[in-house]
Amino acid sequence: MSGELLDRLPCGVVSFDDRGTIVAVNATLATMLGYDRAELAGRQMETLLTVAGRIFLQTHLFPLVRLHGRAEELFVLFRHKDGSEVGTLLNAARHERDGGAVTDCAIMEVRERRKFEDALVRAKQAAEAANAALRDRTREVEHANELLEQQTVELELQQQQLQDSTAELEAQGEEMAAINEELLKRSQDLEHARTVAEDANQAKSQFLAVMSHELRTPLNAIGGYAQLIDLGVHGPVTDAQREALGRIVRSQRHLLSLINEVLNLARIESGHVEYATEDFALAEAVDAVMPMVEPQIAAAGLTSGSSVASDIVARADREKTQQILINLLTNALKFTPSGGRISVTARRDGEGHVVLDITDSGIGIPAEKLESVFAPFVQVDVGHTRKREGSGLGLAISRDLARGMGGDLRARSELGRGSTFSLLLPRA
Amino acid sequence: MPADIVGRNNVKIFGTGTQPMLFAHGFGCDQHMWRFVAPAFASEYKIVTFDYVGAGKSDLAAYDPARYASLDGYAEDVLDIVHALDLHDVIFVGHSVSSMIGVLAANREPERFARLVMIGPSPRYVNDGTEYVGGFERSDIEGLLETMDRNYVGWANFLAPAIMKNPERPELGAELTESFCSTDPIIARLFAKTTFFSDNRADLPRVRVPALVLQCSEDIIAPTSVGEYVHARTPGSTLRMMQATGHCPHMSAPEETIALIREYLQPAAVA
Repeated sequence: MSGELLDRLPCGVVSFDDRGTIVAVNATLATMLGYDRAELAGRQMETLLTVAGRIFLQTHLFPLVRLHGRAEELFVLFRHKDGSEVGTLLNAARHERDGGAVTDCAIMEVRERRKFEDALVRAKQAAEAANAALRDRTREVEHANELLEQQTVELELQQQQLQDSTAELEAQGEEMAAINEELLKRSQDLEHARTVAEDANQAKSQFLAVMSHELRTPLNAIGGYAQLIDLGVHGPVTDAQREALGRIVRSQRHLLSLINEVLNLARIESGHVEYATEDFALAEAVDAVMPMVEPQIAAAGLTSGSSVASDIVARADREKTQQILINLLTNALKFTPSGGRISVTARRDGEGHVVLDITDSGIGIPAEKLESVFAPFVQVDVGHTRKREGSGLGLAISRDLARGMGGDLRARSELGRGSTFSLLLPRA
Repeated sequence: MPADIVGRNNVKIFGTGTQPMLFAHGFGCDQHMWRFVAPAFASEYKIVTFDYVGAGKSDLAAYDPARYASLDGYAEDVLDIVHALDLHDVIFVGHSVSSMIGVLAANREPERFARLVMIGPSPRYVNDGTEYVGGFERSDIEGLLETMDRNYVGWANFLAPAIMKNPERPELGAELTESFCSTDPIIARLFAKTTFFSDNRADLPRVRVPALVLQCSEDIIAPTSVGEYVHARTPGSTLRMMQATGHCPHMSAPEETIALIREYLQPAAVA
């Protein structure tokens, strides 16, 4: 091709060697970039590019041409002599010529097309983003729905299981009563009665196992998943949903503590509790427990205090003693109106016991109901008080534990003035 | 496991020597960039070439954006290969960003490496205030990303032309049917960011493996001052200035590149 024709071509032409040195350039490219052609020969190719264009030349264009022999339709940013960017479309081919390798490039400026492409790319990106967002939202909603359905089913299932278990419990309770009666009535048929009792005991153990796994595990799942939803892990949660979740969680917790206490009671009654007896100062047990309940006591607007001499030593199970103490303090807390006081004192009685007295200035217990507070599931209803949380098992469990350690739990009260629960334990 | 790594990184092994030379390609291309240099060492060494995950014929499904968000992930690729092939006394030859990947790998397991050969290394491409000149501003890198976007978004087979239209098939003959430097556009974009926003200056003083720095004249990606910086901060390193210009001497001046590497590896023969 003659030089004259090259210079008249409506596209820029440049040839450079592998070192990047320009060996030939046509007038069109020089004009496109604002140079005299004489200025360009011998220059480094990359000096005609923007910085980004240079990196692209070194990392993409050159390796491509070197390995493939050619490259097509590359967008390359040149730089005009006045500093402005010139966007171009570039085709390149590498040839052996005159004993060396040269890369020939045909370059067309893209102005209007670039604007159009920009708009196109932007539109495409916007459409993709919108699509992706839509997909995400749909997935989230679907997922949340699935989860909700799943959890509804689980909840129903667990409700059913609970009902079944309750029925079973009642049935077994009746069975036990019948067995007991039979045992008394037919004391001469001891062998037979024992067999029946053993069967019943096995059923009860089985039931305990079922109870703990079948009820507690799904209950924990209910609580856990409700919390996950509440945290927004599965998508946004509306206020109404959050309120509903709160109800689920509160119910779940209540149910869980109820079941735990039923299990505790059943375990104690079936004699499955072991006592680790040791000598310990009551003051230590009180000191260990008070920090756990003091925040609740303060939150309920009550004051508390303990006065226990350090030389009063019990021979009992330290942990169970503390558990009883917590039960008694929590109980006092529940039945004492704001402004009241709870105190813990210790003494020795004349029957070989050490005694912890937990006294509150609460609503008190009518004399005729004083004994029934220790029966399972009983809360003394005095009509004008707020609804109390809890199963009504705390005192029953506490008395069983106290008696299991060779002690006792007793109550005295004056309606409207307060109550004192006395925990008796063997003296060391 | 070795088979997985070999497939994942498209590992190729050839040569009749025993000491391994592990060639690691740079950003923008794949192991084919070594085709003018690596064969020259095949009679003396065991040549190992590979593609980083995301480049060439690597397993794109193995790409993990979190792993490859830093050069450490790429260094893990290198160490995975070293372990999979049970390589010892490795001569690591890295181009551009792979120089720093080699530094990271050798700092983690120096006992595996005998030499580092760094072609056009830069521990940090972006200038850092008055403290350090890498040669680029962040806006330059943004411009590169835009150029890549424009070239990748426009048509799908960029860098991987399915049909070569040139009947002359200059110099490469039948091999043209194979596509070189093919890369996944999205991964390439992430690799560009990982590469150009990396900062490995603190890793240089920790190098315990003898290293050769090959510095091109007029390299705009890794300017001479950067090569000198790498040499100054890397204990026991050797700096060789090249006649070759640009950033890819192994492709633009393979003979000089081969000669300098050979000279470095066999100092006795030179003396």
